[in-house]
Amino acid sequence: MNLEVKDLYKSFGKTEVLHGINLYVESGRPLGLLGRNGAGKTTTIRIIMDLFSGNSGEILLDGKKFIPKNHKIGYLPEERGLYPKKKTLEQLIYLGELRGFNKKEVKEDALYWFKRLGIEEYKDKKLETLSKGNQQKVQLASVFLGRPEIIILDEPFSGLDPINSQILKDIIFEIINDNRILIFSSHQMNYVEEFCEEIALIDKGDIVLSGDLNRIKEEYGKDRLTISIVDLQSRDLKDIFIEKFKDIAHIVETRKDYLIIELLDGKSKKDLLEKIIELDLDIDMFSNYKPKLSDIFVERVGDK
Amino acid sequence: MREFFVVLKFEFLNFFKNKAFIISTAILAAMIIIGLSFPTIKNAFFGVEKTKEGTAIEEQEDLGTFGYIDSTDGKIDINTLKQNFPAGKLKEFTSKEDLESEVNKGNIEAGFILEDTLKYKNIIKNNEMMGSGEGMFEDAIIETYRIKEFENLGINYNEVQGLIRPEIQSETVVLGKDSANNFLYTNILVFGLYFVILMYGQLIASGVASEKSNRAMEVLVTSTDSKNLIFGKVIAGALAGFAQFFTIIALGMITYQLNREAWDNSLDFLFKIPADILLNFALFGILGYLFYAFIYGALGALVSRTEDISASATPITIIFIGVFFIAMTGMQNTEGILLKVASFVPFSSFMAMFVRVSMGSVKLWEVILSLGILFISTILIGILASKIYRMGTLRYGNPVKLKDALKSLKED
Repeated sequence: MNLEVKDLYKSFGKTEVLHGINLYVESGRPLGLLGRNGAGKTTTIRIIMDLFSGNSGEILLDGKKFIPKNHKIGYLPEERGLYPKKKTLEQLIYLGELRGFNKKEVKEDALYWFKRLGIEEYKDKKLETLSKGNQQKVQLASVFLGRPEIIILDEPFSGLDPINSQILKDIIFEIINDNRILIFSSHQMNYVEEFCEEIALIDKGDIVLSGDLNRIKEEYGKDRLTISIVDLQSRDLKDIFIEKFKDIAHIVETRKDYLIIELLDGKSKKDLLEKIIELDLDIDMFSNYKPKLSDIFVERVGDK
Repeated sequence: MREFFVVLKFEFLNFFKNKAFIISTAILAAMIIIGLSFPTIKNAFFGVEKTKEGTAIEEQEDLGTFGYIDSTDGKIDINTLKQNFPAGKLKEFTSKEDLESEVNKGNIEAGFILEDTLKYKNIIKNNEMMGSGEGMFEDAIIETYRIKEFENLGINYNEVQGLIRPEIQSETVVLGKDSANNFLYTNILVFGLYFVILMYGQLIASGVASEKSNRAMEVLVTSTDSKNLIFGKVIAGALAGFAQFFTIIALGMITYQLNREAWDNSLDFLFKIPADILLNFALFGILGYLFYAFIYGALGALVSRTEDISASATPITIIFIGVFFIAMTGMQNTEGILLKVASFVPFSSFMAMFVRVSMGSVKLWEVILSLGILFISTILIGILASKIYRMGTLRYGNPVKLKDALKSLKED
């Protein structure tokens, strides 16, 4: 299965907030939707969920118009919310029945997820009496209820402690291995990096970067190296570099323990190594630069 | 359709888990039971045996004692005066001081000093709105005077009385509807409907608004069609409202049956409402209820906080109260043009047409036409409400104006 968003435009009043969004996600290859606050992630997701419609553009599932209510979808909205004064299990059963499951099977499934998420003891408690983290877990249970074929999670990790995050991570890996469609929106880059093979970076309503995460990283790391020298602070190394290596490479960034440098046109790693040996510097680290997603994110959408 | 019933069941049961709902029903039921049992209770504690002949005199004694001083030298026949003074017992005093001190102590209601045939002084403690028998005393003086003067002229006063106030025998044959008799139960039914709609309308609006404010709505509208949600909610409210209404009516009937003797069967007419009136009431009542409930539901979706509802709902509440007044005043005159027009407009027909059916004469086709208009409008309003409901889902912040809501529906 694949889900495709094509040329999506959306305006609220006179302000256009999405200027032609294109996304592609297929089963088993989760898509990480990245972007700063207010970039348009949630709006895009809400249009996919048909909470409102775009001004133009289309959403396709396997090439045909996607009608959410004809599919089983697990949706975790950014604005969390269930009935605060209702018992947790009771409202999960209600939601399951609304999605077309029969009461018995949905109850079994809800209990499974309660157990899995470690909130079984709260099944007869009113939602409002639970801690925020546990309320969040009830909401997650409602998402996974009934084995949805498409799962859309808007900031799923917000509000979870490290242990609960780990539980959720395991579940997400399970979903990925189960070959389902998963869209994952977040501005917490480390999670996206862990799960997503595909990413799309939205900035002010435009996709500014998208594709296979590894390839993107390679691209960003191309001709860039990280280097550090034994017993030499990166600050001191920086000075030496500026003085002695200016014909071979320039410094991209000075980190605490190492430098990120970029080779000049026509220069190779060999040129750089020869120069290091010539200066008799004791190499501590010398490798291709593998950028973190957060580095790429900041570079693309950070305030310059 | 299955999901609609899921919503219906969930929302219906919610009413019965709602403490406010249970308590208000219990209070209403208690009021009805106590109210209708009142004569029985009263008889049990303060029972007066009615069969005794002395009752009339005993009751008169209850009214109090009045004092008088006769300084007319026998110009007035005191016995005749006493017989014609129904306000209480008249006690003679000889000195003005005694009379005044008794009035001051409150032992007697008031004092009268007769000075001449048609002249007297009234002595009271405080000048209160509720008379101290003065008017009746004056009447008694006049009556005594007349009797005496007619006697002087040699005319029998009883014969004169017969001429001035002859006894009339009459009988009314009602060819159309007996509005006077229907007045009370129509009043009660219209009042009942008014309260049920107003109360449940607010409940539905705040239910929707709270779903929005606790953000459950986004999960709900992505779980099922918004039509299921709003139709389920509104119809569940209708069922709960009528369950409550009929429970109270049924309790009233049972209580009345048990206390019928104490009431002397005087309320029989209330509980013998003709079946066709009840059918009309049920049909118009349910449709009218749904019509307004959908509007209230949509209004609930336009605000983000439950506190904003009353402001948003004000215009429709004003219309509703206006309709109620048209219906109430229409009861006095079922042929009025305003009531006739109102009986076809969907906003008001449920009450106005019911009043006409119950108290006036209406042709069957008029009833069917009005019912048809109301039925179709209710469905249209329902569909519109479900659209507004869905559109309102994600509009947080300031209440959305109905005008803007309709505009953006059009744009969609």
